[in-house]
Amino acid sequence: MTLLLQAIVNGLEMGFLYALVAVGLTIIWGLMEMINFAHGEFLMLGMFGAWWASVAFGLDPLLSIVPVGLAMYALGVLVYRQLMRRVQRGDPFTQIFATVGLLFLLQNSAVAVFTSDYRYLSDTLLTRLSGANVNLLGITIGVPLLIGALLALVLFLALYLLIDRTEFGLALRATAEDREAAMLVGIRPQKMFAVAWGLGAALVAVAGAILANFFAVFPQVGFPFTVLAYAIVALGGFGSILGTLLAALLVGVVQSVTTVYLPPAFKDAFVFASYIVIGLCRPQGLFGRF
Amino acid sequence: MDGSSGRRRARLALAAGVLLGLAYPIPLQWSGYTYFHTVGFLVLINAMLGVGWNVIGGWAGQFDFGPQVFFAIGAYTAAILFVHVGLSPWLGMLAGVLAAMGICALVTYPLTRLRGHYFAISTVAIWMIAQPIGATWEFINGSRGLFIPMQGAQGVLGATASLQFAGRTKALGYYYVAFGLLGLTLWLLRLVEHSKLGFYFRAIRDDQEGAEGIGIDSRLYKVIARSITAAVFAAGGVLYGFWALAVFPEQVLDLNWSTLPIMATVVGGIGRLWGPVLGAVILIPISQIMSTTLGTGPLAGRGIDLIVYGVIIVLIAALRPTGILSLPWSRWARRLAGRPASGRLVGHG
Repeated sequence: MTLLLQAIVNGLEMGFLYALVAVGLTIIWGLMEMINFAHGEFLMLGMFGAWWASVAFGLDPLLSIVPVGLAMYALGVLVYRQLMRRVQRGDPFTQIFATVGLLFLLQNSAVAVFTSDYRYLSDTLLTRLSGANVNLLGITIGVPLLIGALLALVLFLALYLLIDRTEFGLALRATAEDREAAMLVGIRPQKMFAVAWGLGAALVAVAGAILANFFAVFPQVGFPFTVLAYAIVALGGFGSILGTLLAALLVGVVQSVTTVYLPPAFKDAFVFASYIVIGLCRPQGLFGRF
Repeated sequence: MDGSSGRRRARLALAAGVLLGLAYPIPLQWSGYTYFHTVGFLVLINAMLGVGWNVIGGWAGQFDFGPQVFFAIGAYTAAILFVHVGLSPWLGMLAGVLAAMGICALVTYPLTRLRGHYFAISTVAIWMIAQPIGATWEFINGSRGLFIPMQGAQGVLGATASLQFAGRTKALGYYYVAFGLLGLTLWLLRLVEHSKLGFYFRAIRDDQEGAEGIGIDSRLYKVIARSITAAVFAAGGVLYGFWALAVFPEQVLDLNWSTLPIMATVVGGIGRLWGPVLGAVILIPISQIMSTTLGTGPLAGRGIDLIVYGVIIVLIAALRPTGILSLPWSRWARRLAGRPASGRLVGHG
């Protein structure tokens, strides 16, 4: 029983980080209905950014999320302006190709610059805390992951308020809903899409900077997160920010409970099996509004 | 200029292509340097897979990221039958194709309730579920995989019958088998393309509601389309398994078995029968040539070839998403021949 509870708690901690990885995709895919298969590559760039800032300037990843986030915002806007705007109106499959091409380009540029070696961050605030635990009713909670999770939660809630409660968020959702009507009330769709791409890239890169404390940094790190993020967004229901959070927590728990009973190789299999089952039974996702 | 001369040109191009493909390995065989046979083999097998992927992706318009599952099913079925029962690889290929089609139909039918991006992700999901099964299922030796013992058949006919070529003619033999299988795939799928089936597929792609309105069961025909794709991938898997003399999960379930054929299809021209062939001829050698020219230099193994792939795909998607074959070749050919362009397209697929 304790084992199961422990697994659930561990899963929840990971789930918060997954939520942060997925929320950028919620904006680009769930809300604006554009596809981005290079999502995990943005994450990878964020991880490398944090690693580089730490090695070159001694900047802690918890501080470098600001410059990394800003730089990736710029990259996201650039990708939209230079590439995605061209393929936006065409067949949906051209978006898939464009971003898969981007995936190859970014991932292998990272290989060319950094090689495929695994890199680890050491001597950061969170890695120094490793080993520090909180004990609660016989369940051990690692402090570094707890801080990461809390940070993810704060960022997540800020984003939720931005999208769901501000005029800017309203304009974003209006653009997604109906471009022409949005233009009639003075919203410039191109600008909204560019901002959405910037926000999506910045958020996932910030997630990467936090994840760099816990995971090895290497060029191929992104793709598994991309696949997981797609499952999470679809599970949570399109465009539902809180749905994404709950789906991410669910995915974290499913993964960690699976590893209690089955070989670790199966941890993603059950996530994707639940994606298929829920997709078939409830196509609008767990928490989708429509 | 009329349609018949366009068709004649197409037939000439086909004949030239076949002759070139048949003659390609001969001068190399003479010099005893068979490395480029293997490049040719990889071009042909990826072209064949791309032609197969075109059915679900290009004609039926359903994005399938998981056909490598059927590549693996084909490879495993034939390998198990060969190792345990001693069944001929060609019969094993037939069994693998049937097994892949059957499993594909069973798995895909429920998935066809999902549409668009949801369907695409569900095919990834199936692949994610297949990987741990392949890695842990003891019947197929888990992650250790199966090794295919050499039978030591004699002569050209014996080697072809047992799909095992060895020694100096190994690369040559597999090249011609892949050539034959690609030809067979193209011929069969050309029949499908012009049959009622092919028109149904494209009707579903272009307007699913409209297609259903005239009585086409879109779910059924999506399943049929994906099963055809699965059949081609299974046959390719058998060929690859016997070429590699081993079948193990990380090898046959590699993501590259879908990304390379899909990229070849997109570059050449999605939805066009010959698109994947052109795409494979352009893309696959890049990787091989890069690895030989970079050698052991500082940039070797740094993914330069994949950067080039990425740039090509991005450019195609942004500038000509319908692929290279969709460019107005016949108009250019006429202009080159000195005749004024009529502005009318007499293109062919």
